[in-house]
Amino acid sequence: MDSPSSQESVGFDYLFKLLLIGDSGVGKSSLLLSFTSDSFQDLSPTIGVDFKVKYADIGGKKLKLAIWDTAGQERFRTLTSSYYRGAQGIIMVYDVTRRETFTNLSDIWAKEIDLYSTNQDCIKMLVGNKVDKESERVVMKKEGINFAREYGCLFIECSAKTRLNVQQCFEELVLKILDTPSLLAEGSKVLKKNIFKQKPPQPDTSSSSCC
Amino acid sequence: MSSSMLTPAQRYAAGALFGLALHQAQIHQTRPLGSPSDDDPTGERTSSGSSSDSVSEDPQLWVHESSGLLRPVFRFLEVDSKAWTGLEETAGYSPAKHHVGAFLRLLAEESGDSPSEAPDKERALANGVDAMASSMEKTHVDYNSKKKKHCEYEHEWREKFSTAETQSKSEVANVLAENQQETTHSMSEVANVLPESRQETKGNAASIGHASVKSHSKLDETPPEEVLNLLMLSYSRKVTVLYELLSACLANIPEHKKKSKQQRAGYDARHRVALRLLATWFDVNWIKMEAIETMVACSAMALLKEAESKEENQSEQSSWAKWKRGGIIGAAALTGGTLMAITGGLAAPAIAAGFSALAPTLGTIIPVIGAGGFAAVASAAGSVAGSVAVAASFGAAGAGLTGSKMARRIGDVDEFEFKAIGENHNQGRLAVEILVSGFVFEEEDFLRPWEGQIDNSERYALQWESKHLIAVSTAIQDWLTSNLALELMKRGAMMTVLSSLMAALAWPATLLAATDFIDSKWTIAVNRSDKAGKLLAEVLLKGLQGHRPVTLVGFSLGARVIFECLQFLAETQDHAGLVERVVLLGAPVAIKDEHWEAARKVVAGRFVNAYATNDWMLGVAFRANLLTQGLAGIQPIEVPGIENVDVSEMIEGHSSYLWATQRILEQLELDTYYPVFDNTPLKP
Repeated sequence: MDSPSSQESVGFDYLFKLLLIGDSGVGKSSLLLSFTSDSFQDLSPTIGVDFKVKYADIGGKKLKLAIWDTAGQERFRTLTSSYYRGAQGIIMVYDVTRRETFTNLSDIWAKEIDLYSTNQDCIKMLVGNKVDKESERVVMKKEGINFAREYGCLFIECSAKTRLNVQQCFEELVLKILDTPSLLAEGSKVLKKNIFKQKPPQPDTSSSSCC
Repeated sequence: MSSSMLTPAQRYAAGALFGLALHQAQIHQTRPLGSPSDDDPTGERTSSGSSSDSVSEDPQLWVHESSGLLRPVFRFLEVDSKAWTGLEETAGYSPAKHHVGAFLRLLAEESGDSPSEAPDKERALANGVDAMASSMEKTHVDYNSKKKKHCEYEHEWREKFSTAETQSKSEVANVLAENQQETTHSMSEVANVLPESRQETKGNAASIGHASVKSHSKLDETPPEEVLNLLMLSYSRKVTVLYELLSACLANIPEHKKKSKQQRAGYDARHRVALRLLATWFDVNWIKMEAIETMVACSAMALLKEAESKEENQSEQSSWAKWKRGGIIGAAALTGGTLMAITGGLAAPAIAAGFSALAPTLGTIIPVIGAGGFAAVASAAGSVAGSVAVAASFGAAGAGLTGSKMARRIGDVDEFEFKAIGENHNQGRLAVEILVSGFVFEEEDFLRPWEGQIDNSERYALQWESKHLIAVSTAIQDWLTSNLALELMKRGAMMTVLSSLMAALAWPATLLAATDFIDSKWTIAVNRSDKAGKLLAEVLLKGLQGHRPVTLVGFSLGARVIFECLQFLAETQDHAGLVERVVLLGAPVAIKDEHWEAARKVVAGRFVNAYATNDWMLGVAFRANLLTQGLAGIQPIEVPGIENVDVSEMIEGHSSYLWATQRILEQLELDTYYPVFDNTPLKP
């Protein structure tokens, strides 16, 4: 509790921005829904960008996670580029039953991160989703591990449907962020400023001068 | 089912850009672009993404659901409701500049699923808008004659009233007061020469203004990357987007679950400010946007009229159902019975008088934009058709303002009346300007200072308490011509009003006593202006301006009326979104102990305080409060978001506002989004 910030509703120690990327249909939104509300349902493709907030206690800290869920569809790709900015954690999702979603991670998404992420130290995580469809699996766990090693990111396999490893996925990512001093500093700014509630710094020379 | 010319992805992008613009507009309320505070690391702070809370937790935000500003637009654009939160958060979360480019790109993209005739339609619409805009510009051909008239007026009054003040100044230089005749003479000569040279300087001023706008926009808003994106975006696409967004702002689609209490029919000032910023991002001239406004308004009126005539042939119940379906019920409820007035055939000019009254307006539009263009317009507006709040609300507006002699409502105000100025009435204009004089010598002075101004909004001058105003103005003028005043000014002439009045604690008692007889009249006038301000606020709250965004401009006590009006609005629940812009000139309002911040929040767009450090009369008349509280009319107000403009060089004395106001307004270029004044505002 080194830097608690007073919030009207819920207090929290750190606020982190997380981003979900990956091809269309790999289950980014389902993963998020599974994490934030413990439910699973068939979702239509995300339009543009979605946003959810989740409060969580991880590693003994009260956390507020602002999670941006981007559309995987090609036509929205131009939009997502601006959401990399300032993210402390980026989750790359692929579908273990569709190989192209895995290869696209290295062909497209990893490059996007290099191009647009403003955070040198930001934590990346590779997530293979839909392990509940074990019979249809085409991407082996080993391949994922190799990819993660090559790109220096975390790795986990999970299922948004059965909620297997979903909590762990976010927890591991956040723990890693908590371990990284520079990211921690960003997330812990006590100055949770609201520009409309707070007076901007103005030299108070107002009308006391006489000329 | 959608009659939109845009694809769903494009509509999504349009909605996003509108949200971004709306949020930026709110930020600029307290941190105008180009202000020093703009350079502080706020941008970076929020962009780090870790320090700002989510939009959903802050109902103060314009982009928050409860403001009812953004979601109806999304709904109209048929943006999937699942995407709304994402858009709201995007708008509120991070600096707009990171997103604008991306959304522009999305907007520019041609996707396969767009109907093949869309480009043609877009082009037709754009041509229509161009034609409309140029026809609006043409109506200004009488500009020169107006200008002339204004010069005459300036001339006349300058000769009459400024002698005292200017003379005393020249006297200080010469220490010669005897040959008044001569001075007056040379004065009028100067006045003769001025109009011409003014034209030139005006041109310069304008170009400087534009240059500064450009540099602003480059510096603050458009990184080079976005310029490229803009090039990708065709002009006709931009026009189409603006057109649909405006339609979305005006439409009043019945909501099933009324979550937002503040929802209001009509054209919200905050929407207009956001559209203004968006037009700036698009690099589309504001007059084009005004043309769009007029076109949407007129086609909406036509459609409403059509619906109405059909209705007559049907049984009452089914037509009622139709109205309901169209969402017009909501409009009627919110416009407080104006619809009654329309259908009841009361004074509402444009609609009640029937299609024939509307015909001239439409009649001018159709030949101008061509039948094809009109078809495009109508089909674009078709989606608005069933749900037009505008037509209902502004149809009655003319009657609303000019017809309201509210004098009896508050016993203390004897006179309070709106008078139409200019020829934009019943032309389907979607902006209203209310102009308030506050230093007058005869009744004409309520109108004439405003007559020469070129503007595309519907304009009204407020005539109020003429008896008292004339009395106090004359008293002050008389006092100024007195020797005592000359003496006084001679002493202080080298100083600003403020500093010399500070020094004037040492004034001889006789001098101060001389002002006593002004004081009583002044006190009455100030008192009345406060009450008139309250009355003005009530007029606006009632929606007599037809639920259209209002620009308030006033000088002297008129500025006080406006300020009081804003303060009163700030106290009410429902205040935001009525007033778009405010210009106060020579305002007799104290700076301390007044709620400038609150007043600023009521104004969605620019808030200008024009002051003159050499405004003697104001200083003297107001001196009681001056020493401790400051005075808006002679010094800048250090409140974030208020543009302070020093007009000392254009003002010879307080009465100069009668004729100089127009020029000041021209130099302010109120139609630009950014704070503009050709003289860089002086810092104290």
